Amino acid sequence: MLRNIRASFSQIPLIGWLLGALTAVALDLYVGTSLALTLGLPKIPVLFGFVIMLKKPVMIPGAILYVLLIYVLPAVVITWSTIPLTNRLAATLFRLPMVIAVAIYLALLYAILHLWAGLSAYRDLVLRLTLIAIIITLSLNVINGYMGEFSCSHPGFMALGAYCASVFTVGLLVNDRLFGAAFLPPALGPFLFPIALIMGGLVASLGALIVAIPSFRTRGDYLAIISLAFLFIVKSLLENLEFVRGPRGLSGQPDWAGLPTVFLWTVICIWSINNFVRSTIGKALNAVRDNEMAANAMTVNTRRTKMVAFLFAAFWAGVGGGLFAHVLRYVNPSTFGIQKLAEILAMVYFGGLNSVYGSIVGAVSISLLGEALRPLEIFKWIIIPLLLILVMIYRPTGLIAFKELDVTNLLQPKRNPGGKA
Amino acid sequence: MTLLRVNNMAHDFGGLRAVQNYNLEIDLGQIRGLIGPNGAGKTTIFNLITGIYNPTEGEVLLNGRKINGLPSHKIASLGISRTFQNLLLWRHMTVLDHVKMAHYSKIRYGLIGAFFGTPGRHREEAEIEEKANHFLDMMGIRHLADQVVLNLPYGAQRRVEMARALATEPRILLLDEPTAGMNPEELVQIMDIIRRAHDELGVAIILIEHRMKVVMELCEIIQTLNFGELIAEGTPEEIQNNPRVIDAYLGKEKAI
Amino acid sequence: MVLFFQNFINALQWGSFYALIALGYSMVYSILMLFNFAHGDIFMVGSYIGFGISVALIAVASSGILAMPNWLILVLTILISMFLTSFVGIIVERVGYRPLRNAPRASAAITGLMIGIILETGNLALLGARRVSFPSLIETVTYNVGGVFVTNKKIMIVLVSLLLTLALHQFVRRTKWGMAMRAMAFDFAVVPLMGVPLNTMAALTFAIGSALAAVAGILFGVAYPVLDPYMGILIGWKAFVAAILGGRGSVLGATLAGFLLGFTEIFVATIFPSTLRDLIAYSIILLILTFRPHGFFGEPYSARLRL
Repeated sequence: MLRNIRASFSQIPLIGWLLGALTAVALDLYVGTSLALTLGLPKIPVLFGFVIMLKKPVMIPGAILYVLLIYVLPAVVITWSTIPLTNRLAATLFRLPMVIAVAIYLALLYAILHLWAGLSAYRDLVLRLTLIAIIITLSLNVINGYMGEFSCSHPGFMALGAYCASVFTVGLLVNDRLFGAAFLPPALGPFLFPIALIMGGLVASLGALIVAIPSFRTRGDYLAIISLAFLFIVKSLLENLEFVRGPRGLSGQPDWAGLPTVFLWTVICIWSINNFVRSTIGKALNAVRDNEMAANAMTVNTRRTKMVAFLFAAFWAGVGGGLFAHVLRYVNPSTFGIQKLAEILAMVYFGGLNSVYGSIVGAVSISLLGEALRPLEIFKWIIIPLLLILVMIYRPTGLIAFKELDVTNLLQPKRNPGGKA
Repeated sequence: MTLLRVNNMAHDFGGLRAVQNYNLEIDLGQIRGLIGPNGAGKTTIFNLITGIYNPTEGEVLLNGRKINGLPSHKIASLGISRTFQNLLLWRHMTVLDHVKMAHYSKIRYGLIGAFFGTPGRHREEAEIEEKANHFLDMMGIRHLADQVVLNLPYGAQRRVEMARALATEPRILLLDEPTAGMNPEELVQIMDIIRRAHDELGVAIILIEHRMKVVMELCEIIQTLNFGELIAEGTPEEIQNNPRVIDAYLGKEKAI
Repeated sequence: MVLFFQNFINALQWGSFYALIALGYSMVYSILMLFNFAHGDIFMVGSYIGFGISVALIAVASSGILAMPNWLILVLTILISMFLTSFVGIIVERVGYRPLRNAPRASAAITGLMIGIILETGNLALLGARRVSFPSLIETVTYNVGGVFVTNKKIMIVLVSLLLTLALHQFVRRTKWGMAMRAMAFDFAVVPLMGVPLNTMAALTFAIGSALAAVAGILFGVAYPVLDPYMGILIGWKAFVAAILGGRGSVLGATLAGFLLGFTEIFVATIFPSTLRDLIAYSIILLILTFRPHGFFGEPYSARLRL
């Protein structure tokens, strides 16, 4: 019977799942409050009930019921009952030019996220930080997963991007005690924000040269400590730069990193990185990882490959950092130290190496777990590491390693309208 | 002008002179053999020609152009390809990706195409895949295209290595013990593949081998190496009867 | 000139901690080919265990059951803590690393990182956020040597470190187990085939490394009495840098690199404002690594991360 259930679920196309999710979040937003009160919950559970369950164990039945009624039931019922309809829809969309089809799916996805986040500022913040975590995790996966290094420099790249973008926006576009009057009219802001982020990314790429160039001659362990030294250097540099107020940090970033912006950048990141790793030029990263000597013998320019990998990954880490600075609207150097390194490494290795899916799963899981387990306070930091250790023991390369993201496969209808899969 | 000429090549590893006074001349379509006891320096010579090491002395000329000192990927893209004694495959990659990778230096679409998925890149990737499939067909492993090489049996892996080397479209192919670990049936198949590569693609081939049957049948001229120096060079008959070779290498065993 | 020698002494002391911790990292790295990122936290655990034991011993001594002079308490603390912390190391190896023996090294590294976090959180959970103070067991006696002020504590710390390094060096060179360890550092796979039990070797390596970290922890507590659960993080990662800088397979290399790191940090702080210390010290390290990418001594081992 289990197999039958699995079989029927495998017939649900992506659009089916999206519609199910859309229904669920709509219910959550419009019917949620009354349902929650009926079930004896103080308010709508913000994070799928985890927080409420942990704070007041007596609410557990209520929270579970809520999640079942609002999320699980609608999702299952809608997705399952509309299989013929959604498959026809998927087929129709599949026939459209890829760009348009993808745009429609993304719009739907955004609608879901928008509705979900619409409930509270907290959800909005968590969602934005999770999306940024995806960017960071994916960019680290390029170096640690696809190219098989052990790089500890990512917090440094984030820091460079965060500070650079902040200096750009605060310095040029905001009336500020630190930098003086705005240089350009603030109304231009949202249009210049992408430039700020890109500049942050480019500066991070520049910094990556410090790690990339030694990587030509050394690999593995020595590269690890070079990247670690880089981390210490960047942190120390920022702590000593009075220009950006050193350890006191920089605040006052304008509020331009809203959900649509962060979502858009995340999509661009996933898209460009996925394009890259699926191309032959991108697969050269794997060749360098699995056997550098053979790669050279097969005409692969390994130096160029390493350089591109580091600079590209650092660019996105810088963009992620810039977004991070503008979501929190405050940066300081201590954010980008060993603790951040541990978090990012955890997300990459937990989710899965060499896989776009893996990075998304890893980032989302660890971010949400981190938030959901907050009521447990310090025990959160026993459960999450323990979970990671379990994953390392039973699936050493992560939950979803080496699985390629193929957009065509993703969008494909799962069942011909005729009936057979 | 000779396709590949090696003049008086010598190489030191620290205080040890591994190769001394090595000379070679080979043209398109020719098949040379390189035999000698283990440790004689045969693989080192391959490594020197392909740029893994930079020869301490001497020069390697490809179509008259000096290539010793160039990085190995550059030498590979100039038309010298090789297989490895220990099968250096890329564990986590599929068979098809192996063969596509060999096309790397000829890729035109650059980083823009790679990051942004331009139509030009998709077209070119399709071309690369078609070419790769052709080589897979030639090696008889087309049906394994989507398999990760980690999962393949040894014989299939050897074919992947060969397909990959051929896919760089070389003018010279260096084969390092291509029949190592093969049973008699696989041996015949591999010899056939080598012959096909030679006949269909016209490549020059240098073969390091321990199995005399293979060397004597395939090669026109055989070089014998001992302690890093050439001790004999000639046709299979001449080599078989050369007392120095017999003394150093062949012993009383007849070729199987 | 006086200032130079003053700093020299300080650098020796500071470097001692790095050296002892780097030794533990280096042993595990050389022999078992893995990084134990929990090592810095084992240093912390050793320090806390030492704290607990010394407090207990002081209570015993002052209650009159058994009179012990302070120096004896210190020695006992060190010995008992070494013993107990080595068990912590053995447990960490058994639980975290043995299941991952055939896994990619990066996965083992992440596991170590997580174990470290668990140790820190465990400490926080057990002892709360209050900082504890290592009891003062040695009267600080300052000697004035031609204008340079040297305390007995500093001398003790440096001497103990050097002695332990020497002892470890002799162990590795002269004993049967030490020989097995050196053999494993050369060729990991072959030694078990020669009849040397791999599990025992792993446990022994971790035990010795952890014991050394414990000594470092207690000496640290003597020099800087205020302990906190996160004290091992920064010093651990820096010692890790030193261990690799020293080169794989070299006891002396790790010690030398540890002292070098200590010297770099102290002397940089004398010339430049102290906030720039990390920046300049690690830029120097980076430069060294660019020109001498295989570290100082030991086998140049360009480790490939085998996924």
